[in-house]
Amino acid sequence: MEYIIQTNNLSKKFGKELAVNGVDIQIPKGEIYGFLGPNGAGKSTTIRILLGLMKPTFGNIAIFGKDLKSERINILKKVGSLVENPSYYPHLTAKENLEAIRKIVGVPKTRIDEVLKTVRLQDAANKKVKGFSLGMKQRLGIASALLNKPELLILDEPTNGLDPSGIIEIRELIKSLPEKYGMTILISSHLLSEIDQIATTVGIITKGKMIFQDSIEELRMFAQQHIKLKVSQHERAWRALLANGMKAELEDGHILLSDQTDQHVAEAVQLLVQQGISIYRVEEDKKSLEDIFLQMTKEELAG
Amino acid sequence: MLAILQSEWFKLRKSKITLLLFVGPLIGLFIGLTGNSLNVGEQMNQWYAPLFMMNFTYAILFLPLITGVLASVICRYEHQEGGWKQLLALPVTRGKVFLTKYLLLILLVLFIQILYLGAIYAVGTIKGFTDPFPLTIVWKSIIGGWVATMPLVALQLWLSILFKSFAAPFAVNVIFTLPTILVVNSERFGPYYPWAQPFSMMYVGGSTDDVFFIPWDQLLTVVGGGFLVFFLCGYIYFQRKPI
Repeated sequence: MEYIIQTNNLSKKFGKELAVNGVDIQIPKGEIYGFLGPNGAGKSTTIRILLGLMKPTFGNIAIFGKDLKSERINILKKVGSLVENPSYYPHLTAKENLEAIRKIVGVPKTRIDEVLKTVRLQDAANKKVKGFSLGMKQRLGIASALLNKPELLILDEPTNGLDPSGIIEIRELIKSLPEKYGMTILISSHLLSEIDQIATTVGIITKGKMIFQDSIEELRMFAQQHIKLKVSQHERAWRALLANGMKAELEDGHILLSDQTDQHVAEAVQLLVQQGISIYRVEEDKKSLEDIFLQMTKEELAG
Repeated sequence: MLAILQSEWFKLRKSKITLLLFVGPLIGLFIGLTGNSLNVGEQMNQWYAPLFMMNFTYAILFLPLITGVLASVICRYEHQEGGWKQLLALPVTRGKVFLTKYLLLILLVLFIQILYLGAIYAVGTIKGFTDPFPLTIVWKSIIGGWVATMPLVALQLWLSILFKSFAAPFAVNVIFTLPTILVVNSERFGPYYPWAQPFSMMYVGGSTDDVFFIPWDQLLTVVGGGFLVFFLCGYIYFQRKPI
């Protein structure tokens, strides 16, 4: 598989503390990679390292298959980024801010109007950015990141400070980019719901360590682990199931079936009915991703 | 590199800097016009009198102070709202960014010096001097003053990158600039004090045997050495600064 970003044992020490600890990121081409973790988990530090703003204490980084250390400039030519709080020059207008960047990345002037339109800032184009709301600054930041038509877009908490309609708008925009322009996107957030709605691949980081990295489907698989049965005489029902070789657990007066195939559920229900047990409810015990996230991060803390 | 320079100039041009560039030369003009004529004797060129007076205030105080302010301005908008991280995540090297900022600063100082030259000429014209304009001597003074600010600009750029606050590098600048008034009168310390060099190199009464108004060894050690030390410190600091 072709990886746009691949890190190997990436680590960053601040004093004695390992802010990033042996992180291996693998981002396949065309994916929207959701980089998820609580505040202070090491997301921004990792992103700064990926952009060459900070040097890793150890570990290697390859972007577009090239070594970041030796080919930083060539790599950054094809990268657009927004790091943490939006960056801007307060004394310039939105258009002038983009112009200052345009002179360096060397794209045609028409590109400025294009990106302003993309993030819907064209009406505020000639206003000083000092007076912008946080949401508008965030949009300007995204516009700056898009200016050079990047192949890799790195967005650190891009929906911070946006109002709900702004969040939806930006989300739709981000989702459309891989299809339209073949971009690969790394987007970080501390909100799982945010990542859930946008990402195709997820990496979860906590305390500087990567604790999960796979497709969003894999993550969702964790979410629907059980079929939950509410029955009369749960104790007897549970024993009956076990006696017939079915995997079942007893939890808080409910029976949990881990095998969720239709056939298996049907067999279990049939068996219980035959045993004269009343079945009140059969439901999917869907853990929210939020629960899984919390569980994962807690396990990491305990371990 | 040219692209970065254009971008830097664009950002700087849009801040209210143009007024700053005129402060020094205007003060020079004012002093030149209002000052009482010194009695310089018959045999001396008329132009020397205003030159002495103007240079004194301009080269001792305003030139070093303005360079510091310019250096702060050129870094201020990068400090304000995450400009550094945005700039350095673009395909640029830190070395080039530092060099560009330095280059732009000394070009601005050169521009100020040329304006000051204009101010000198204006004073003479308004006062109706009839003696020939001492072109060689004035050029020596203008270019010399410019060269002498190079280490100061390097130091101020370093400090302006180091401190987020606008006031800190300015305070340092003032602290070192004010004693110049005393130091230039000292034969022992004057030649070695970097902040006194703009005055020494603009002092038209200085020795005219060398290309500039100070001896070559002083130029190389104090100005050249100062430049090397301050520039390298700033350059290396910026390379390592965590953004």
